[in-house]
Amino acid sequence: MESKQKEFSKLIKNNQGLIIKVSRLYTHSLEDQEDLFQEIVLQLWKSYDSFQGNSKISTWMYRVALNTAITLFRKKTRQPQTDELQDFHSKNFLEDSDEKQQQISLLYKVIKMLPDVERAIVMMYLDDEPYREIAETLGITEVNARVKMNRLKKTLKELMIKHA
Amino acid sequence: MPNQEDFDIDSLKKSWQEQVISDDYNQDEIEVMLNKKSRNYVKYILWISVAEFIIFGIINFIALFSSSFHTDFTSILNKLQIRNQSEVEFSLDKIYYWIKIASLVITGIFVIIFYKNYKKIDVEANLKKFIIHIINFKKSVNLFILSNILLLFLFIGSFTSFIIFTIRRQNIEIDNPTFWGLITGVVFSLLVCIILILLYYKIAYGIILKRLSKNLKQLEKIDSEKDN
Repeated sequence: MESKQKEFSKLIKNNQGLIIKVSRLYTHSLEDQEDLFQEIVLQLWKSYDSFQGNSKISTWMYRVALNTAITLFRKKTRQPQTDELQDFHSKNFLEDSDEKQQQISLLYKVIKMLPDVERAIVMMYLDDEPYREIAETLGITEVNARVKMNRLKKTLKELMIKHA
Repeated sequence: MPNQEDFDIDSLKKSWQEQVISDDYNQDEIEVMLNKKSRNYVKYILWISVAEFIIFGIINFIALFSSSFHTDFTSILNKLQIRNQSEVEFSLDKIYYWIKIASLVITGIFVIIFYKNYKKIDVEANLKKFIIHIINFKKSVNLFILSNILLLFLFIGSFTSFIIFTIRRQNIEIDNPTFWGLITGVVFSLLVCIILILLYYKIAYGIILKRLSKNLKQLEKIDSEKDN
């Protein structure tokens, strides 16, 4: 049992970037972000036995993480107003001094303006997941995932220009 | 001044994938998380549903299997001056018996549906299936409660109709205040029950089901969109 826990925690440690990104995209406070990270880890742990290498790690992690963030998670804090959101982003990326990091910070900000499902499509697309994987994770068709993403590219560009 | 090309999503892919995660967790911190308690909506729905199941089951059983029913019923028959009371009670006992059987069968069926729908909720399923399964699980509980309310309505309805029928058959004067008091009481109690139940559902499930339905609609909308 202990070795299984160690094996699992090592797997999470090595792939925690995905969970952290999901946690940041679906919360509006650091407290909620940490809680969501923990809830995703717990849900992954619960389904670890049924996973055990049956599919790609990223496929399994995306499914569990997005289902948890979009459907299961109970936020502690209320949805903040735009000004508060701005504060949260500034604090979160205070160390982001270079231009590249500032762009990422802006990208997070505008993705969070999208509805839950669209956020998931954009995140998986940015992580270079194939459309087939995006479609299967969300339960939509591959063609529609592609169509939606093409529209979202325009929306996101407009939002980024507006909020830059 | 940023260039418009800087905001092209495809050109941002590389930076996104290479972003520095500053607030990462070490292995020990992750292991500690495994021993913490999960707090999520399905758990919340499950516990509330189990409580509803038990409460409504108990209310239904008390109402239908209570031994005080006969005493209360005989006293109402006395007040309404109904004759041949043993014959009337025998007929009502038959209706009462079938409602009891229906209540037991419905509860049994719902316990099975409730369990099966709960087992279908799998966090590894795709998002659409996951949302549908949670909604179906909640619907099965709602249906159980609705069927119990209908049974109680049926019971109260048949009791009232039977009394009216007997009063007419025995040509009893119906301006008896006890009779009108009974009818007003029944209608008023039913209305209060309906309002309280609707209010409870609005408060207990409004937010969760609204969020689930909103996301399900989004997924269906994406799937119905055509490429221009």
